[in-house]
Amino acid sequence: MVEMKIEFNLNGKPAQVSAEPDKTLLYLLRDDLGLTGTKDGCGSGDCGACVVMLDGIPVNSCMVLAAQAAGSDVLTIEGMAKDGVLHPVQRTFGETWAFQCGFCTPGMLVSCYALLESNDNPTREEILTAIAGNFCRCTGYQAVVKAVEQAAAELRAANGGGND
Amino acid sequence: MTELAVVGKWTAAPGAREIVTGQARYCPDIQLPGILCGKLLYSPYARARIVKLDVSKAREIVGVIAVMTHADIPGENSYLYAEPDQPLLVVDEVRFQGDAVAAVAAVDARTADVALAAIDVEYEELPGIFDPLEAMQPGADQIVQGEDNVMMSQMYRAGDVEAAIASADVIIENTYRTQWAEQAFLETEGGVGLVDDDGGITVYSSCQAPHRDRMQIARALGMPESMVRVITPYIGGAFGAKDEAHVQIHAGLLAHAAQRPVHLIRERRESILTHVKRHPMVIECTTAATAEGKLLAVKARIIADAGPYTNSTHEVLGRTGEFIGGPYKVPNVEIEKIGVRTNNPICGAFRGFGAPQAAFVYESQMDDLARKLGMDPLEIRLLNGIETGTKMYTGVVIREGTPMKESLNRAAEMIEWDKREQCERNPAKHLRRGWGIATILKGTGLGRGLLDHAGVIIEMHRDGSVVLQSSAADMGQGIITVMAQLAAEVLGVDMAAIRVARADTSQSPDAGPSCASRAAMVSGNAVIKAANEIRDTLLSLAVRKTKIEKDRLSLRAGKLTVDGVPHEITVKDLALRAGDWGYPLHAESLVHFEYPDDAPEGNYRFSQEVFQFCTQIAQVLVDCETGQVTVERLIAVHDAGKMINPGGVYGQIEGGVAQGIGYALTEQLIVEEGHTLNPSLENYVIPMAFDIPEIEMEVLEIPEPFGAPLGAKGIAEAPIIPTAPAIRNAIYDAINKPLYELPMTAERILPVPDTTA
Amino acid sequence: MSVAEFMTPASLDDALSIKKDRGAAARVIAGGTDLILRMRDKVLSPSLLIDLRRLSLDGIARTDEGLSLGAYVSLSQVLESADIEKYFPALPAACREFAGPPIRNRATLGGNIVNASPAADLVPPLIAYDANIVLSSTGGERVLPLVEFFVGPGQSVIEPSEILTEIRLPLMSTPSAAIFIKLGQRRSMAISQVNVTTRLTVGESGLPVEARIVLGSVAPLPMRAMSAEGILLGKELSDELLSEAAIKAREEVTPISDVRASESYRLQMTEVLVRRALLATRDELSGSATDG
Repeated sequence: MVEMKIEFNLNGKPAQVSAEPDKTLLYLLRDDLGLTGTKDGCGSGDCGACVVMLDGIPVNSCMVLAAQAAGSDVLTIEGMAKDGVLHPVQRTFGETWAFQCGFCTPGMLVSCYALLESNDNPTREEILTAIAGNFCRCTGYQAVVKAVEQAAAELRAANGGGND
Repeated sequence: MTELAVVGKWTAAPGAREIVTGQARYCPDIQLPGILCGKLLYSPYARARIVKLDVSKAREIVGVIAVMTHADIPGENSYLYAEPDQPLLVVDEVRFQGDAVAAVAAVDARTADVALAAIDVEYEELPGIFDPLEAMQPGADQIVQGEDNVMMSQMYRAGDVEAAIASADVIIENTYRTQWAEQAFLETEGGVGLVDDDGGITVYSSCQAPHRDRMQIARALGMPESMVRVITPYIGGAFGAKDEAHVQIHAGLLAHAAQRPVHLIRERRESILTHVKRHPMVIECTTAATAEGKLLAVKARIIADAGPYTNSTHEVLGRTGEFIGGPYKVPNVEIEKIGVRTNNPICGAFRGFGAPQAAFVYESQMDDLARKLGMDPLEIRLLNGIETGTKMYTGVVIREGTPMKESLNRAAEMIEWDKREQCERNPAKHLRRGWGIATILKGTGLGRGLLDHAGVIIEMHRDGSVVLQSSAADMGQGIITVMAQLAAEVLGVDMAAIRVARADTSQSPDAGPSCASRAAMVSGNAVIKAANEIRDTLLSLAVRKTKIEKDRLSLRAGKLTVDGVPHEITVKDLALRAGDWGYPLHAESLVHFEYPDDAPEGNYRFSQEVFQFCTQIAQVLVDCETGQVTVERLIAVHDAGKMINPGGVYGQIEGGVAQGIGYALTEQLIVEEGHTLNPSLENYVIPMAFDIPEIEMEVLEIPEPFGAPLGAKGIAEAPIIPTAPAIRNAIYDAINKPLYELPMTAERILPVPDTTA
Repeated sequence: MSVAEFMTPASLDDALSIKKDRGAAARVIAGGTDLILRMRDKVLSPSLLIDLRRLSLDGIARTDEGLSLGAYVSLSQVLESADIEKYFPALPAACREFAGPPIRNRATLGGNIVNASPAADLVPPLIAYDANIVLSSTGGERVLPLVEFFVGPGQSVIEPSEILTEIRLPLMSTPSAAIFIKLGQRRSMAISQVNVTTRLTVGESGLPVEARIVLGSVAPLPMRAMSAEGILLGKELSDELLSEAAIKAREEVTPISDVRASESYRLQMTEVLVRRALLATRDELSGSATDG
């Protein structure tokens, strides 16, 4: 089997890897690039543990072939904090106990981050829609909603004075 | 008592930053140079004889480093939870779809798959036994040679059930059926085996019982336990399924055979097919009562389909029988528990451990009884509820019974139970609304008469920082946070000063398994004990330094306090002194789960004696044409004794209720002739974000007087237990149809009776 | 998985040439949410994958007849289109209930069509709107009604050398209304037990001149319940008539029992959902009538 050279933008930096054509983006990230934050919960797109951002939208990386990411921007959980500073939603997840075992958390956070990037005042319904593809067996989702609401409030306050 | 500084406060988990940045490493994330990919070959048949098993071709493939069959296991070829009847690698007969036949370790996953495909195995399919009643017949084929298909059959009696039934004014008699349920933790089972420099084996194990894993791995390797080490990395959920061993033993075996590191991680489909499930049970129950609604007797016959191997069947059935009367005064019982082997999926521990099945029965019986007598479901429960001093039919005397009725009354208050008839019952022609109550009890601890202990090692360094070593496995339930909080409280430091090491059998004493809601109690007490030793030393140093009497001194927020007022001397100062003056700040403790002194006469074996009580009330909306049930509101009132980690407690309640909703309405393994038809998260239907209402929770903090760390008791299992019967009773209220089988799928809701009561 | 080659052609002509050369061993990959799964489970073993990413087959354009959708428009893109919501609302209604956001961001209409699953959620609304599809090959294009594309479970009339490139939605005459209802075991990430799309177009008489009752997951193919549709034409839409159509629809379907639902439940739910969908469609029509 012939390997392909795949170049893409990963967490803001160029990345280049050789991989077989049928390798998923999930395993490219985990095995070839050593970024084990993104998890394999089912391998079939049913649980959302593998969610990453691809060109600015959340996708199940187990349902994307690595080759399909060529030339794209990929953001994983490892790229969410900037210069060591956690994104508000990463911090509020800890504050509200929006995780317990933490295995679903990277994918869950990316889905929530994606929502907050385009909507800093989401309704409960919008938050539930954003995480409708993320399965959590530990928490029951309420604390996740709370964490997103708190992070949104912080983001609005930070963006706050913009409208006068 | 002065207000606590750390305990009871919302605090992030010590590992929070690692988790939210993706740095936390679980078994699949442990990457080492040269690590091999391990896989197991599983039986496709529910029952078959192995006619031929030839791995020679697989061994010849380039990149395949080790291939093992039963013949290659150096030590004992069996798991050992209670009985050694489940082989690690099958010798002659596969007994369920998921029995492991061979193991390979190869340079990568692709090569491992090629190796598995190259294993030449021929099966002769045998007629399987899939109905426990058939398995119980005399003359039925022995599913495990030399072992009875009835793996246990026990009767427990208290009082005189027949007389009570004869004298009763009303009898409620029903047969209940519950389903196989899948724990569906996000991180599938895994183990990473390594070879130590001196030939020992280290296994990173996604598990609940590191020391028991160590015993099993050493046993399989034929090595002394001193040569085996088990470490838990982050664990992605377990809910009981990882209490019994899974692939970690094989990971150790393969590492040893290959003399290279091996990771063995199950794929999701494999996981669902192979690990233990919640036992499906058929329970015939007779409840006898007076015309006023007072319970006189409960008679129950419980048959559990265990799959072919024993695992924890005895213990699970033990709990079902222990709690089949509910949190009520029931003077007369006859409880028959039968565990049966079949060629269906293997069964074992799942949060609740037999209590959810019991609760479905007893709380449904209570509502049926209330209906028959024209009584309010709340009133009949209050009438029969246990109180402090009640002697249960198990022989246990309830020492603190207050939470039972308090949780009932509080839940009723929260939903405005007495005003529910003023709510709109029929918001549309095809929609009907209803309310249902369930109140339950669940014990904590392994049970009287069993070894139930934990130890910790705590060391405070010269700079006041602390390392806490414990082998209590944290699979998300938060024991690490609890231990850190307790240590921080006693030592008077911030959480940030405490480092809790991952469980490591070579570094910390046995803490027992993280099960039975016991970790916070037993390990918690162990932490308090060890921390108090160090605290005492620090205070002694403070006495020496300040000349103030010890009973006026304390430690809080990093400082010494005198009569509660912060002093200029800090905990760090004292720690430094301790080093200078030669006082070791090191303590090791061992604590046993405590029981009252007197063993109750004729008591139920291994009964638990510290109880979690909780009441849940469900408000459902039933679509009478489709049968779909929406849980609109769910009230949950739980008693925690004292919340150490509020975030964790509320999280456990929400998560448990979510699991309970799934157990009630949609979750079931569909098994036909021993084959699981839905081994995927797509078709094993678990509620997700839109399917669960905002759970309205309240936690009662009535201190547990007995053996509890600062009044706290375990709460992990209670949340999943009342949900299904609460929903069942709400459905009964909505559509006047009692259900006796789980899950209560849309198809079972239909047809809806034409009239409501 | 067995894929030896992966290509991302820059033009449709290139893609079609490759398809012609390599035939059935080459599969087009769009979102991949179904294809990758089938490859992993070894149901499909293509030796070559052709990624259509660079072909911009995800446009949504107005034409004289209505809308032209690139076959590989994602479900999320459908949800963002004001035109689709305005003129063909049953389609985004189906998209909203499809899986969850990460899947919707990748899954495409074309993929959902070409998989030819009897449970495909997006196909019935497209059929209800009388969609035509364009199958392209090096030999040109053939245009056919979507409803004629399916032959059996997982089987369609597409040739190995063809690529589905376009979906054409003709503007409905007005007033028209359409409703999509899905029955699943949970509210997201659920495969349909039954899905129903109904569309009614009303003529000058105020009575229906076109009726579509399109069902998924109740037959080997997505299907129109044509006898039931016939009952509604030219008649007053009374409750009784709508119930009669629902009962008729139930007689036309041939569901199976599987892990999600039994045959008898699917039969019952066909009637329930068709009735509800028709009632809701009628309500929509009276709503738009009063708008004047």
